[in-house]
Amino acid sequence: MDLSKITETLISGKSDELKKLVEEAINNDVKPADILNQGLLTGMDAVGQKWKAGEMFMPEVLRCAKAMSSSMDVLRPMLKDDDIGNAGTMIIGTVAGDLHDIGKDLAAMMFEGAGYKVINIGIDQSNENFVNAVKEHKPNLLGMSALLTTTMPRMGEVINSLKEAGIRDQVTVIIGGAPVTEEFADEIGADLYAPNAGTAVEITNEYLQNK
Amino acid sequence: MINRTNYTVQQSPHFEILSENQKERIFNGMMRTLQYTGAHVHHEKARELFKKAGCKVDGVTVYFPPQVILNALSTVPAVTEIFPWDGDDSKRIIIEKKRSYFGPGPTPPNFIDTETLERRKYLRKDASLVARVCDALPNIGYVQSLGSISDVTNGLADVYEFADMVRNTTTPIMSWSFTREGCHDIHRMGIAMAGGEEEFKQRPNYVFYGEPISPLVSDFHAIDKCIYCAEHRIPQVYSPCAIGGGTVPASHAGQLVVALSESMVGVIASQLINPGTCVIIGGVQSILDMRYSVYSYGAPELSLLSAALTEMVHYCNLPMYSTAGCTDTKKMDMQSAMEASLSINAAMMSGANFVHDCGYTESGLTGDIFQTVMDDEIIGMARIIEKGVEVNEKTLAIDQINNVGPGGHYLYEEHTMNHFKDNWMPSLMDRNSYEDWVEQGSKTMKDRIIEKTRDLIENYEGPRNKVPEKADNEIEKILQEAEERQKKEKK
Repeated sequence: MDLSKITETLISGKSDELKKLVEEAINNDVKPADILNQGLLTGMDAVGQKWKAGEMFMPEVLRCAKAMSSSMDVLRPMLKDDDIGNAGTMIIGTVAGDLHDIGKDLAAMMFEGAGYKVINIGIDQSNENFVNAVKEHKPNLLGMSALLTTTMPRMGEVINSLKEAGIRDQVTVIIGGAPVTEEFADEIGADLYAPNAGTAVEITNEYLQNK
Repeated sequence: MINRTNYTVQQSPHFEILSENQKERIFNGMMRTLQYTGAHVHHEKARELFKKAGCKVDGVTVYFPPQVILNALSTVPAVTEIFPWDGDDSKRIIIEKKRSYFGPGPTPPNFIDTETLERRKYLRKDASLVARVCDALPNIGYVQSLGSISDVTNGLADVYEFADMVRNTTTPIMSWSFTREGCHDIHRMGIAMAGGEEEFKQRPNYVFYGEPISPLVSDFHAIDKCIYCAEHRIPQVYSPCAIGGGTVPASHAGQLVVALSESMVGVIASQLINPGTCVIIGGVQSILDMRYSVYSYGAPELSLLSAALTEMVHYCNLPMYSTAGCTDTKKMDMQSAMEASLSINAAMMSGANFVHDCGYTESGLTGDIFQTVMDDEIIGMARIIEKGVEVNEKTLAIDQINNVGPGGHYLYEEHTMNHFKDNWMPSLMDRNSYEDWVEQGSKTMKDRIIEKTRDLIENYEGPRNKVPEKADNEIEKILQEAEERQKKEKK
């Protein structure tokens, strides 16, 4: 089966059509890893490049990410751990006292687009909720966001709570939000910082590959 | 006889984006949104207040019937005045339709260091510096700090900022705070500077800035502070940062509907608490750049949307908090000047009351006092256009034209002596001859801005030594108490 059709449909952001094609490929016994790598991820790579080149824009990119994510729902159960590579599970949320969610939601969608299973725990999440989510879902990635300078320190507190619970090493921690800086990420002991949702995936994948 | 009958005068240029019919439609769009979509209000007491006034409440969602909105709009005052604490009324602010005051903006995390010109975290010393420089700038009508102090006890940046700024400028300040406690501290300082509570009520000397979250969410602290200000009759801003295509519709009319609706929640709360208290709405109106996912502070859409919202806000008989003089660029350059010039002129033409963000760079993430100094010059230029052309017997100068006749010149004319100073005199723009320009060091605009700013920093004292001792001591006491409260809270 020609997987380039999957790639093209993904680039055009047509969610339902893509899902059908992925199901068809599965029924035709195409290897799930090939569907993912040669079909879907090739498409998302092209989307990423087009975005960088100014040929595609955020709402279009998000449609592709959404299409990718809904196809992954079908494909994920067929995949072996090795097939997925670094794209594992991610917990993402905005810290306690902060009700801002657009940046965090954008990042969540971009990670879904890259093949991650993303569990978005929402806004105003207590330290305890972050820790419990990590315990429950065992993600390899934890994303936290804050828009207020008063809530920024909560991200450091969550990291400390993870340490106390003895699960800090299980996850790579990435943080973001308008006032957040690389320097601040270092200060609180986060692994990664991304200045925006677009680069977050790239930075994470590069880090996980070299880990 | 110089009087004329049935004669119309246009004192200033006319600049209009929306027709009456369009305004009415957007206004009705706001009413429909608040009635049928409603807004989230994360504050139990506020929800009770709304419910008592006739709103439908379901969980955290409040639905506002038109009559509640119209009632609130009917009690907002048409005029409010803000007074400089030293009694010099040349810096008095009159909040009234079509009077514009420009100033910096609040809370970016970074600041351009005035010595190294590098971007770094905003520090406590920057608040006094910004206040002092703004105090000296003739076209800056009110002051905000251009940053959020990073080197004081966490949670007290707001209080330190006001304490330092109010003692370094008599130009009225627009303050902000994290919570009601900060609001209270700042208010006590305002009272100390006014010389007492009654004196403050007579002559309020600052405006408070609060912000709901777009789209249509009033978080606990936003509405809590709004209530505090209304209770104490502190003139306040309640306005969101609406992100076109992100938190509000990508179409401009849709953005105006949501932006107006978000602010209206604060208007209604303030008027229910204390009818007649001053509330100003508006906020940052711009688009999400879909290529870089950045909230653009230099987009031409910011100017268009801000001017259109100004018309809407004035249609509601409310004062407008608008945006201009800001840029997406990282360093002082041609882009910052281009973006600031366009937005300042548009804001001036629109007649917005408070125009903030003069000195914002990097899309609102870095405060830059050099940008403010440049903006001061641009505002001066825009004011000339705002003034329009005066037409009367004196300015028509028919007799002078006859005196000089064809082929003469006007340099010796008394009439010229009387009028040439009406023209704007640049303080930064270069109109020198090439030779003189070279002789004076071939300075670019950037050089001149840096020179002027540093000269003000070094040589302009500001009012620090004029602060009454009693007020000074009171402010120090308030700071100490805030520190103690913060220590207790940590425990």
